[in-house]
Amino acid sequence: MTSYVLGQFTEEAALLDAARVLRADGHAGIDLHSPYPLHGADEALGLKRSTVPLVALVAGVVGAATGYLLQWYTAALAWPLNVGNRPPHSSPAFIPVTFELGVLFAALAIFLGLLVAYFRFPRVHHPVFEVEAFRSASIDALWLSAEVDGREAERVAGELRRMGALQVSIVAEAK
Amino acid sequence: MSTAKKSLEEAHALEGPPVLLGRPDDRALTESLLAPVLGPTRRGFLLLLLAAMAGMGFWLISLGVTLFVGIGAWGNNIPVAWAYDITNFVWWIGIGHAGTLISAILLLFQQKWRTSINRFAEAMTLFAVAMAGLYPIIHLGRPWLFWWLIPYPSTTQLWPNFKSALPWDVFAISTYATVSFLFWYLGLIPDLATMRDAAKGRTHRIVYGILSFGWRGSARHWQHYRIGYLLLAGLSTPLVVSVHTIVSFDFAISQLPGWHTTIFPPYFVAGAIFSGFAMVVTLMIPARKLLGYGAVVTERHLDNMAKVILATGLMVSYGYVMEHFIAWYSGSEPELFAFLNRWEGHYRYIWFMQLFCNVVAPQVFWFPSMRRNTLVLFVVSILVNIGMWSERFVIIVVSLSRDFIPSSWANYSPTWVDWGLLFGSISTFGVLFLLFLRFLPAIPIFEVKELRRELEHQGHGARAERVAEGSK
Repeated sequence: MTSYVLGQFTEEAALLDAARVLRADGHAGIDLHSPYPLHGADEALGLKRSTVPLVALVAGVVGAATGYLLQWYTAALAWPLNVGNRPPHSSPAFIPVTFELGVLFAALAIFLGLLVAYFRFPRVHHPVFEVEAFRSASIDALWLSAEVDGREAERVAGELRRMGALQVSIVAEAK
Repeated sequence: MSTAKKSLEEAHALEGPPVLLGRPDDRALTESLLAPVLGPTRRGFLLLLLAAMAGMGFWLISLGVTLFVGIGAWGNNIPVAWAYDITNFVWWIGIGHAGTLISAILLLFQQKWRTSINRFAEAMTLFAVAMAGLYPIIHLGRPWLFWWLIPYPSTTQLWPNFKSALPWDVFAISTYATVSFLFWYLGLIPDLATMRDAAKGRTHRIVYGILSFGWRGSARHWQHYRIGYLLLAGLSTPLVVSVHTIVSFDFAISQLPGWHTTIFPPYFVAGAIFSGFAMVVTLMIPARKLLGYGAVVTERHLDNMAKVILATGLMVSYGYVMEHFIAWYSGSEPELFAFLNRWEGHYRYIWFMQLFCNVVAPQVFWFPSMRRNTLVLFVVSILVNIGMWSERFVIIVVSLSRDFIPSSWANYSPTWVDWGLLFGSISTFGVLFLLFLRFLPAIPIFEVKELRRELEHQGHGARAERVAEGSK
């Protein structure tokens, strides 16, 4: 059975140190929760570079290609329409729509990618929300959460207290 | 006076007033910023909302008449086939652009003063684009067939003509509306979670809980979130320029004197920023006063916005001069006539009003005391809004009413339906904006908290403290 150990900290440095110590102990499921992005959190948690730019790039290129091919197919292949005797395949005239679709695809990929693939949202019932005091995580407090095996929960909780956590709670995930 | 204090004073003199006043702790800050949303409904708000809804009723009636009677209910004729409809469209879409500019371009340039006003400006963008997007659809004549503009495999086997600027418009406006919404909503998610957590009532908690999708401020999420948000800003920046460029192509790639100029794209983009910043100021001055946002939207913000209005006003003025110069330099008689007609023709008073509002009025912002005087700022911002509407009217109606062949000349005068669609859309925009102020955090709370950390790290903390002491 998995448990979540939650500890509240007041100082950013103490929080990041606690994350480093637990990670050095071999705990993988460490996360930090804060009302604003914390400087140094990526390094303390050992996070790899975000792949979101790659997703955006691929989606943008796919979108632009879709835009151009759509116009080329409809204007030059499916029904070539003579407008002012301009060539059916007029690449300069195709640029605006190509650009717009590139931007549209990239933006949709970023937004949906973040929410669905990166954050696994919607998830309004996460175990950390079981702790009433955790509400402060989006207002003024810094929290550390550790996803650990149920048998280790007490030991990790003790360690958090020792490292200066103000209050510590354990949530057992119902499965 | 000690040297340290003196250098602090000098730094203050160089940078202008602070972007944040006082140092409330995070909880107090959250509570003060959420007070207009989580607090009880105020009587003044209801009165304003009712007034705006009355105007919205006028708008709905005008829309209904347009749908039932057709565009014959408008004053449009041939040659003036575009009139208030497209004037309103270009005016609203231009207003929208300042929101994207503030939130995206200023974010990329790391302008800290942007933080307090970006959400506000983005909401303005969204509602302005919603108002703008309506006009091209209703001016189709049979608006229920608007989807014919979208390329889909139809039984007629015909496709939109992508060599025309009008299908470009379809893609530009729909992309712009979508991306503006995504950018705005992504920025809202952490604050929606804050609302969920700060709210006392069960309904608030459930509704904002669902809207925030379960955001838990996780560092693993913040990492991707920040990159994604920056990338959306990076995409929005060329997007906003492209959208108004494409809108200007609607005119510039035609042959009509007064429309057929290469200066249109940059001149339209500058005009869009000009009118949009004016609208942000028009909305922000009363909102800041009524909702108590004075500590996060300071004199510094108003001062900077006034400077942007002055700068873009000068760009627009340059555009006017250049248009005239090119008309003369081209040696083309219809071109020259189109510009003489602005000064001497039937609609010359609207042209004079445009010059007064867009060229003369913003010049007061050369004086710092005028930039910080909220009354002057408010009045000038409204004049700029009027001036930019007049500009689009002059470009569209004045040019169309006097084209190449004198036998086809005709004047345009609006009907009550035209007025209803103009003033009604302003009221409907007001309704949407009031609802936004009532139900969503208008100031990005998490960004203000982050900004305060940054200012403290840079040693601005001492200054903020000094200001806080001074205000006691």
